[in-house]
Amino acid sequence: MSAKVWAFALRSLARQPGRAILGILGVAAVGALLFDMLLLSRGLLVSFRALLDAAGFDVRVIAADAPAFARPRIADAEAAAAAIRALPEVDEVVSLRLGNASVTGPDGRAHDVFFLGADAQSRRRPWILLEGRDLGASEAAPPALVVNRQLAKALGLRPGAEITLRGDCARGAATAAPPVRFRVSGVVSFPFDEPKAMTAGTRLRDFGQTCGLDERGDVDIFLVASREGAAAAAVRSIRALRSDLHALSNDEIVARFQQVGFSYFRQISAVLSSITLFFGFLLITVLLTVSVNQRFAEIAALRALGFTRARVVLDVLAQAVLLVGTGGLLSLPLGLALARWLESILHAMPEIPADMHFFAFEPRALLLHAMLLAVTAVLAALYPMRLVSRLPIAATLRSEMVT
Amino acid sequence: MLPAVLLFAAAAVPSTPPSILVSRQLLASEHLAVGDVVALSGDARGSRAREFRIAGVYEPVPDPARLGAAALEVRLHLPDLLDLTADPADPVAAESVRSINVKLASGADVEAFSRELGARVPGLLVRDLAGADDADVTFVVLDRFHLAISLVTVIASSIFLLALMVMLVDERRDTVAILRLIGLRRRRIFIQVLAEGLVIALAGALFGVALAVLLEGGFNRFFQWRYDTALVFVRVTPAIAARAVSVAVPLGILASVAASWSLLRRGAMALARR
Repeated sequence: MSAKVWAFALRSLARQPGRAILGILGVAAVGALLFDMLLLSRGLLVSFRALLDAAGFDVRVIAADAPAFARPRIADAEAAAAAIRALPEVDEVVSLRLGNASVTGPDGRAHDVFFLGADAQSRRRPWILLEGRDLGASEAAPPALVVNRQLAKALGLRPGAEITLRGDCARGAATAAPPVRFRVSGVVSFPFDEPKAMTAGTRLRDFGQTCGLDERGDVDIFLVASREGAAAAAVRSIRALRSDLHALSNDEIVARFQQVGFSYFRQISAVLSSITLFFGFLLITVLLTVSVNQRFAEIAALRALGFTRARVVLDVLAQAVLLVGTGGLLSLPLGLALARWLESILHAMPEIPADMHFFAFEPRALLLHAMLLAVTAVLAALYPMRLVSRLPIAATLRSEMVT
Repeated sequence: MLPAVLLFAAAAVPSTPPSILVSRQLLASEHLAVGDVVALSGDARGSRAREFRIAGVYEPVPDPARLGAAALEVRLHLPDLLDLTADPADPVAAESVRSINVKLASGADVEAFSRELGARVPGLLVRDLAGADDADVTFVVLDRFHLAISLVTVIASSIFLLALMVMLVDERRDTVAILRLIGLRRRRIFIQVLAEGLVIALAGALFGVALAVLLEGGFNRFFQWRYDTALVFVRVTPAIAARAVSVAVPLGILASVAASWSLLRRGAMALARR
């Protein structure tokens, strides 16, 4: 389309500014909702994948494919970890034991702490160090502990501070282990922490001592880092080695999450995207059709003056593109602001990690948004374009003159 | 429900094994039938498997938090479950349960009962199930999310409505001019516009509610099929219908008044383009 077509379409819209502004605002509102629904449709998946990859482990090994609350632990974990570590596809294995503990704050109130024990010899850690030092392999006294920012803030902890934890790691059953005094070595970020969670991590041995566990060496999960790009091969080898264990690559976990976890949001985003697109289509079709109906005489006069059929049809299409294009551009900042608001609402859900987002930006969402709006603009312009293309010049001019 | 219990091959046995109930979903996925004998084990290796007879099928209580996860569940008598899952090396395992559900007599004080039980059995965690828990919070959050989405939808619809009314009023510019020229006062035309707006808004709102009621069954059936659940996803209650009408009607009237305002404040000659 030439610049003349665009300029003419712009002038046509400018002649009825109120109508054009309302059309653009309507497309902007619809487009913002559509953009948000596109972000929502894959947001959890994208951010969940990012969380899984954050710590550098690409395979998880558990004892049974059952919900966390009913899942048995991996028995004889030391031997199992050594066997997995010896596989050629595996670079590193970190054993992890999960539990709970309580700590008394400076105000005398007890705080529940999510407590985990991990191998201290590994290069990779299931957390990211933010301040201070990581857990060392040496057997210092008191034992070292890393805490998250939430716990550090609640108890006023800094590296070097001391804290006493009472373990509660037997899933609700009381333990008779005495409280253990720890020295905070560092402040860390645990990728899967909830926004308000207070979490602490220590070495497996000190975890066992705090929780009063026997020396059987059961763990909840092995975090496995495969050698470069060998996650699928590592999973196959682990399954061949220990058929009683369940090894899952990050890709498999994400695929499973896509199937069950929060699929409600994918469904609602699909439903709302369809409705918003239909809504936008209706809005533009009605605006253009009424506008064309009111301009029949003008269009017929233009045709009589020498405008070709294609030229007047292109004028209608250009108007649709201008309305949808301007509205679509406006919808992006509007959609991002709306996404932030909706994210703040949804993030109040329990058990959602702080770094997990319902609305995650991806370039493909932007591309899809542009494509869908472009298709809507063309579809919405079809009917008014048909009206214009079939307009009988002489009959219209006569009829309009008589009127 | 026992997710950790694993189901093995069905077989016929001479003596009558203990009875179990299986969920409808498990029955369908494993092609089982009432009366079949199945072997269950407490671990993935299938060790210490025991045989049970399927006495019946049940529909699991729909749980929105587990939407999309197939409810492959079995219900056993407690002694059978303990026998199946207890660690033989642990002497108290066969006498331990994770929780005990208590139904208090009508009028009993839950807090007093919890306090007394806590004092008698130290270490016991007593929780009032009527109190709010995480699932409740999830649905409060979802409710807020739906409200926010409806707010955005209402804003978009209002703009659409306003655009429509502006066009409608523009089409009737000549009619309004003639009405003014034959002597009708602005106030009279304003009341007419208001009445028209009310009728259009009421008709639109009622049509919307009727459409929602019509689509309700279809939505529910689709999502119940999609997730294989008995959950009800959409329910148009009188309160929701009333709320929708109470928002739509004033908005419709406002849109018609706002759109007509430019015509009403102009003089009759200006409207007639003279």
